Amino acid sequence: MLDAHAVAIGPHGMLAINIAMLSLIGWALWRAEQKMSSGSDLILLILLGAFAVSGRVLLDPIPNVQPVTVIVLLAGIHFGAPRAVALAAAVALCSNVLLGHGLWSLYQAVGWSAVGVAGAALSNRLYVDGRMAIGALAALAAVSAFAFDWIVSLSALHSLSSEVFLVYLMAGIPYDLLHAAGNVAFVAWLANPLSEIMTRHVAPPAPMAVRDPVSSRV
Amino acid sequence: MSDSLKAMSLGLLILLLISFPTISTEWARMTAELIEEEDDPHYGLPDIWDGKQVVCIHFPQSEAPDGYEQGRKHIDFDGSEFMSDGGWNESGACIGGFSGHDSAWSLMNTAVNATDDAFALNTTQYTFGIMVNSIAGVDPSQMSGNFSGAYWSLYHNGALSMVGVTELELDSDSVITWRVDTW
Repeated sequence: MLDAHAVAIGPHGMLAINIAMLSLIGWALWRAEQKMSSGSDLILLILLGAFAVSGRVLLDPIPNVQPVTVIVLLAGIHFGAPRAVALAAAVALCSNVLLGHGLWSLYQAVGWSAVGVAGAALSNRLYVDGRMAIGALAALAAVSAFAFDWIVSLSALHSLSSEVFLVYLMAGIPYDLLHAAGNVAFVAWLANPLSEIMTRHVAPPAPMAVRDPVSSRV
Repeated sequence: MSDSLKAMSLGLLILLLISFPTISTEWARMTAELIEEEDDPHYGLPDIWDGKQVVCIHFPQSEAPDGYEQGRKHIDFDGSEFMSDGGWNESGACIGGFSGHDSAWSLMNTAVNATDDAFALNTTQYTFGIMVNSIAGVDPSQMSGNFSGAYWSLYHNGALSMVGVTELELDSDSVITWRVDTW
């Protein structure tokens, strides 16, 4: 009997499979987006969430490299803080169903929400004349990596004393650096295509009722 | 800008990933702190060895090999000396960061190999087990002083071991200590 499932795959082989799967998911979501009508912002947020969760789960073998931070940052820039926060919390919860859910999930949701809010607050400087300011976005993404990691590290205060906490933060700096480098790479490779997609689906302002300017008097 | 950033960021990321094990290990050694809880068997040892197995060898100060006369040096599993505790009230070294050793003899030999035999053992095999005569050339039977005799004694997690080094079974985070006792 053939038993392909018994094939031993090393960590590098498994990572290659995961990257291939993530590419397939990304391509499929991109094709799905092309068939969507403009202004489908909520559906696009769901697709982005699916890609972010897939990316976080499939890239889990690489320490602290995942696309969630950059996707939430871009969502904040294009869709505003409330939707970025919703995306951030949903991605944290859904990915942690697979990776492990606990106290840290709340801190991850808060950390990514803060990144989304920062993107929304700085959107005028990051999205200028219909183009992403890639340099500024890369810098913010790198800073966001440290900010997110340190917010999540606050969860350690439940078990560590505040004196040890600084040492804990210091010990994590190599992981923060990896997160920052990963974010810059994701900005370089994903920011422009994702921004174009998001721009297509930013909902136009809802029509507002205006006072009839025509006088009824005769 | 965008194309050059793509190449640079990917190159940097790959470089960081390749060198990450080295970077994180060296950083952990640089930022290590000594464990301060006195009731912890790892008391006085670097916190990166918390949960790991450790061998400590304490020499009488007057007999300590060169470089080990003052305080205690900490040597990681790969033989890298990364920290010393000049305030420790014994002289010698601890070699740690090991895992998976079921017996003290196995751990001891691994620690000796990690330090390129700097703490080489001289032993005698008896019917009841192995007797350690000297460590790093320090042989208590050659020592003289206000005592009848001296010998290398073995401690496990701070308590004198009731069995020999070949019989002593370890926990996943055991600390075994050799020091010269007298009678």
